[in-house]
Amino acid sequence: MSKHLERKFEELHFPYCRDVARYERDSKVGQGTFGEVFKARCQETGRLVALKNILMDNEREGFPITALREISILQLLKDENVVKLIEICRAKSSAYHRFKSMFFLVFEFCEHDLAGLLRSSQVRFDLVEQKEIMRQLCCGLFFIHRNKILHRDMKSSNILITKKGVLKLADFGLSRAYYSATSNPRYTNRVVTLWYRPPELLLGSRSYGPPIDMWGAGCIMAELWKRKPIMQGDSENKQLMLITQLCGSINNEVWPNVDQLELYKKIELPKDSKRCVKERLKSWVRNASGLNLLDRLLTLNPAKRITADEALDHSFFWEDPHAK
Amino acid sequence: MAGNFWQSSHYEEWILDKQDLSAKRKSDLQHLTEEEYQKIIILFANFIQALGESVKLRQQIIATATVYFKRFYSRNSLKCVDPSLMSPTCLLLAMKVEEYGPTLSNKIMTSCNNLTKGKFQYAFKQEYPYRLVNVLECEFILLEMMDCCLIVYHPYRPLTEYCAELNDDSILPLAWRIVNDSLRTDACLLYPPYLIAIAAMHLACVMLKKDCQKWFAELSVDFDMILEITQLLLALYDLWRDGYDEKRDIYAILEKMPKAKTNPVAPRS
Repeated sequence: MSKHLERKFEELHFPYCRDVARYERDSKVGQGTFGEVFKARCQETGRLVALKNILMDNEREGFPITALREISILQLLKDENVVKLIEICRAKSSAYHRFKSMFFLVFEFCEHDLAGLLRSSQVRFDLVEQKEIMRQLCCGLFFIHRNKILHRDMKSSNILITKKGVLKLADFGLSRAYYSATSNPRYTNRVVTLWYRPPELLLGSRSYGPPIDMWGAGCIMAELWKRKPIMQGDSENKQLMLITQLCGSINNEVWPNVDQLELYKKIELPKDSKRCVKERLKSWVRNASGLNLLDRLLTLNPAKRITADEALDHSFFWEDPHAK
Repeated sequence: MAGNFWQSSHYEEWILDKQDLSAKRKSDLQHLTEEEYQKIIILFANFIQALGESVKLRQQIIATATVYFKRFYSRNSLKCVDPSLMSPTCLLLAMKVEEYGPTLSNKIMTSCNNLTKGKFQYAFKQEYPYRLVNVLECEFILLEMMDCCLIVYHPYRPLTEYCAELNDDSILPLAWRIVNDSLRTDACLLYPPYLIAIAAMHLACVMLKKDCQKWFAELSVDFDMILEITQLLLALYDLWRDGYDEKRDIYAILEKMPKAKTNPVAPRS
């Protein structure tokens, strides 16, 4: 850094972001889109938090856009079912870091993530608990979609659950605001972890919306019973193949104008697969309305896919046994 | 940006109080008159606007960058960070926050060079001393100083909605320009954007001799605030009308601007 900049920067005081030293670090608990996550405890209040360190791997771009998204979107979204961003802290800047502060996002601490719970053979879910998880998942999605935010990275490891059983959508590093119909958006389709990626993204759509998250919710719902991701493709083609095998062939009949999507004609897919979502999953999900909801979440045509709002009205959540 | 203004950091942390704002400016006002201070802020709003236009950014992004700039100096003296460094920094951050796809950082830096040598030569008179690496360092300072409050609401959206309600196409273009002008006043630091939109519409109606009193009367808003915003705008128009010539006058004012003691040296890149 040049001499005169050093001078100027040193004259500044930063009363606005607090020093991360007020949290005592415990153990590393995970790795997010843009940084490591530590469990930590506030020295004053004893409150447990998750500290997410913002890694600066691409220095040419400056402060990572994923972190900017997470900050700006979580400041906007305050809901029981969305992970709470408590504050942003920094480690003191010094000449050693070339006067760049290290930034930390401070989140409320959640004991579990859904992927971990599903992996553990000691954890069993009964129907009431499964309903409760799905209900809260749909509540969270309803809230963010109403606020015109797409999560864009639905997967079981991004679903956190507190020890009191409250579900929190987390990791908004890929999320973005969307604008409805009138404008002609062109978003990137390189989002969402492959196994949870909906057919419209795999076919190259760039003007998608909330249904992309609902597809993910469908994959997660099936996972709640099957205890592992239901479609584990290792390439985009393979993933589309798996989707076709489960949800039937993709054509203009089930999905008007699907042939207009960029990649539709470039990918060879079976033409005569029959839809068998219910048949294939009924041995796991032994509940008729549950199967029906799953079927509606895993609908190929995004325009027909059930919305979070409609899902919350689904009989699955309103018949016995009730969610808590 | 989507979401609810009334729950936003813009509303909760960044609608400032007039007294606070003048208190923070006090140290700069030992060297500059209030009017000179305003002229410096106007210069850099123009600079940010020109930088944004040089890479064809939407007005929304330029407006966000301008608000960032004003937020930074609402808490800091002009001498803390050279505003000619802060300007591209605000623009690059605003582009990221507003999800402007490609990174144009190098183009922005080229524009800084070109504009200071060309269109804004009257203000700078020497080579633009900063490189991208300086801007990226400065970005951290900006982020911290704004307490990472990134979402800025602008008057443009409410303005478009109100004009549609009024059902008169002739008002929007002029009111839109007035909103752009409002970025050269303190309005965006002091008042919620929808009030700025209403003030701009009101002023546009007066200028166009349109009688929309009925529509305004039915709004349930604080007309004292609309009046205050209008006064800020009129003061700006007075300044321009009373023969202020940025090209002729700004250099002398910048000379008086408080700066860090060392002279800028081109950093090694």
